[in-house]
Amino acid sequence: MSTCRALHRTLMALTAGGGLLGLLPAPALAAEAAPVNVTVTDKGCAPNSLTVAAGKSTFAIKNASQRALEWEILDGVMVVEERENILPGFTQKLSATLSAGRYQMTCGLLNNPKGQLIVQATAASAPPGPVSAVDLAGPLAEYKLYVLREVEALVIGTQAFVAAIKANDLAKAQALYAPTRVHYERIEPVAELFSDLDKAIDSRADDYEKRENDPGFVGFHKIEKFLFIDKSTAAAQDTADRLMHDVNELHSRIENLTIPAGKMVGGAADLIEEVAATKITGEEDRYSHTDLWDFQANIDGAQKIYTLLRPLEAKRNPDFVKRVDDNFQDVDVILAKYKSGDGFQTYDKVTESDRRAMKGPITTLAEDLSTLRGQLGLE
Amino acid sequence: MTKRNDTGPDGERLGAPPPACASRRSLLKLGAATGMASLGAVAPIAARAAETDDTKTAHQSQPFFGVHQSGIVTPEPAAATMVAFDVLAQNRPDMERLLRTLTERISFLMVGGPVPARDPLLPAADSGLLGPVVVPDNLTVTVALGASMFDGRFGLAHLKPKHLVRMSQFPNDALDDRICHGDMLIQFCANREETVIHALRDIIKNTPDLLTVRWKIDGFLPADTVRELGKETVRNLLGFKDGTANLAASDDELMNRHVWVQPGADEPAWTAGGSYQVVRIIRNLVEHWDRTPLNEQQQIFGRYKMNGAPLGEKHEHDVPDYADDPKGLRIPLTAHIRRANPRTPETQSSLILRRPYNFSKGASSNGQLDMGLIFVCFQSNLAAGFLTVQDRLNGEALEEYIKPIGGGYFFVLPGVPKLDRFLGDTLLSA
Ligand code: HEM
Repeated sequence: MSTCRALHRTLMALTAGGGLLGLLPAPALAAEAAPVNVTVTDKGCAPNSLTVAAGKSTFAIKNASQRALEWEILDGVMVVEERENILPGFTQKLSATLSAGRYQMTCGLLNNPKGQLIVQATAASAPPGPVSAVDLAGPLAEYKLYVLREVEALVIGTQAFVAAIKANDLAKAQALYAPTRVHYERIEPVAELFSDLDKAIDSRADDYEKRENDPGFVGFHKIEKFLFIDKSTAAAQDTADRLMHDVNELHSRIENLTIPAGKMVGGAADLIEEVAATKITGEEDRYSHTDLWDFQANIDGAQKIYTLLRPLEAKRNPDFVKRVDDNFQDVDVILAKYKSGDGFQTYDKVTESDRRAMKGPITTLAEDLSTLRGQLGLE
Repeated sequence: MTKRNDTGPDGERLGAPPPACASRRSLLKLGAATGMASLGAVAPIAARAAETDDTKTAHQSQPFFGVHQSGIVTPEPAAATMVAFDVLAQNRPDMERLLRTLTERISFLMVGGPVPARDPLLPAADSGLLGPVVVPDNLTVTVALGASMFDGRFGLAHLKPKHLVRMSQFPNDALDDRICHGDMLIQFCANREETVIHALRDIIKNTPDLLTVRWKIDGFLPADTVRELGKETVRNLLGFKDGTANLAASDDELMNRHVWVQPGADEPAWTAGGSYQVVRIIRNLVEHWDRTPLNEQQQIFGRYKMNGAPLGEKHEHDVPDYADDPKGLRIPLTAHIRRANPRTPETQSSLILRRPYNFSKGASSNGQLDMGLIFVCFQSNLAAGFLTVQDRLNGEALEEYIKPIGGGYFFVLPGVPKLDRFLGDTLLSA
């Protein structure tokens, strides 16, 4: 429900550079207009037709019927806002930010006629135009496909990786470590919905009290340590089995998952936060120094989400889109310098000045993408 | 987003009474529970008194506009943070944007005002640390540049302040590169640490593509102090009064002579009104110090620990007479104050304005406390000031108990005299 509800929020256009400057003109949030009264009787809504201005409205719904009431604002079959369980004799309030258009309101019993809710455009609300569920449906479906493809690739990659460990082929296992992980890193925000698996698959020694020696420390990074520090496949056998199991489990859980729109959109920013927190410092893959693979994978994952949403943003906030495009490009150009074959050089090869040069675009991407959910009206 | 404003049949509010009432009631409940019947009645009054005090200091402010930046001769409030940044800007236009943004943010933060509201679906405009209305709380934000800003990047090499150099190692130093140097130093001072943190986070949020933090150190003075430089003396972590013989910051003539670069000085013209700032992060080996006899400690500084008077004198502000003690029988020749300021006509030119803070950061792996002094000083000539004083201090008896580990040399930009100007504009237009 929260997804549908959220889809209809009004797009809040940022003023140019709004993500960067604290001094935005205050939007009209403070003053709340007087509530619009609706009384629901056993027969229906009174009045049965309401007209409000686009933007935020507050409805005071009085239940004058005999039974507990659920009151909803509908856009076609989609529930935009709802107030559940209003007991007979009680009044409850509901605030909704509505964009211009025709909506319906439910009025008690299912066979009662639905009321009409007309939301009129105002000068202020007109230009941006809302992002609707329909607008987001395409990107969401495509993103789900992307996530599925990645998790499938992760399963196949992990199979080969684990097989190499089982065959005691150290060189091969080492070579497969980074390319296998990228499929996880690209979809990390979705994988993180399952915190137990995320911890089992991708936690680092720092997450545990006893660090490397902690019995709780398992997953990719534990195997990384076995392969790159201890240079041992024998030691990694059990952890490899466990990893295969966890990756399979992740696959099946993601197959059955409905990705919330907010999670997808917010994922772009989450991935950049990952980069800012652990990739720029080179502490993610500290035993293998294959950080650049993960770095690029996080950027890819963020860029995928952004690209899917870009058409929605381009019309509404061209400055924002230009800045985000430029910053992604800056990062890609620097990362490209360190490409080697199908992969990347080790992180210690990245010069101090390139590390520094990436900080600006990364931090700006983090600031900008942190507004993406809000711009699309998502919680 | 959706508000649940439940109302009863008559539109009467249900649920909790107004908040003021609730807190009062819970205090009474607490009083009863602890068996202290009077607590309920007393606590709210105490809380109110504290609130008024707070509100008073919260509205204290220092000027942003002026020939000099604030945070140098202005009083020293209880909290400070020094943050060195690497500048990410790569060209002059970005450099100008950085300096303009800093000017805009600092001039707001030092005055205060309402935080602009934003759609709650978006990240808020600021951290919210000070609530919906930012109070000045004596905040000063002082911007200085390191020698590295005058490398090739911005075409400013020929405009480098004459004495500005990268800090180098003194004999007793153990400098750690991770807490040294930087393109820019921003010094934040305020009555409360929250105000300092709020200002720092505001600046970081508004300069994502322009600045990145290189190192940071937090300092403190006794909480109830707003130290009038040269007037009141507080103790540092070695237990000695620090600041007794400091220059009087309120004396304009003295400040023009020793602290501010003067128009017409042998310096690039844009530097007039600025000052050289030295920051030295100096660890104090306090366990060792606390195991040192009092007499020895007093000999090391040349002052009495309790009242701060020079050895052989009675009162804190008595002036030591070194001419009368050429062999150092009263105040040893190795004493900190004697080396730092021999008080001869020739050493007048090395006088500096000190503005230090204490720091305390946890413990080192050997179980010793990691604390000490953030030594900060300002002077119109780095070579004649700090560098000369430090050269005289090299080999002083105090060295056994202190370890300089970080910091750097910076040049504080001249002030912003009026509204249509910005920090560093004279540098960029030079
Ligand atoms: C942890 C390091 C230090 C400690 C604990 C310390 C402490 C003190 C104390 C207790 C005094 C006497 C009171 C006063 O006049 O303020 C003093 C004076 C002074 N210190 Fe330091 N100080 C330290 C480092 C430095 C450094 C690095 C310098 C400069 C290079 C310096 C320069 C001075 C000067 C100029 C005076 C005034 C001497 C006078 O005019 O009589 N101090 N210091």
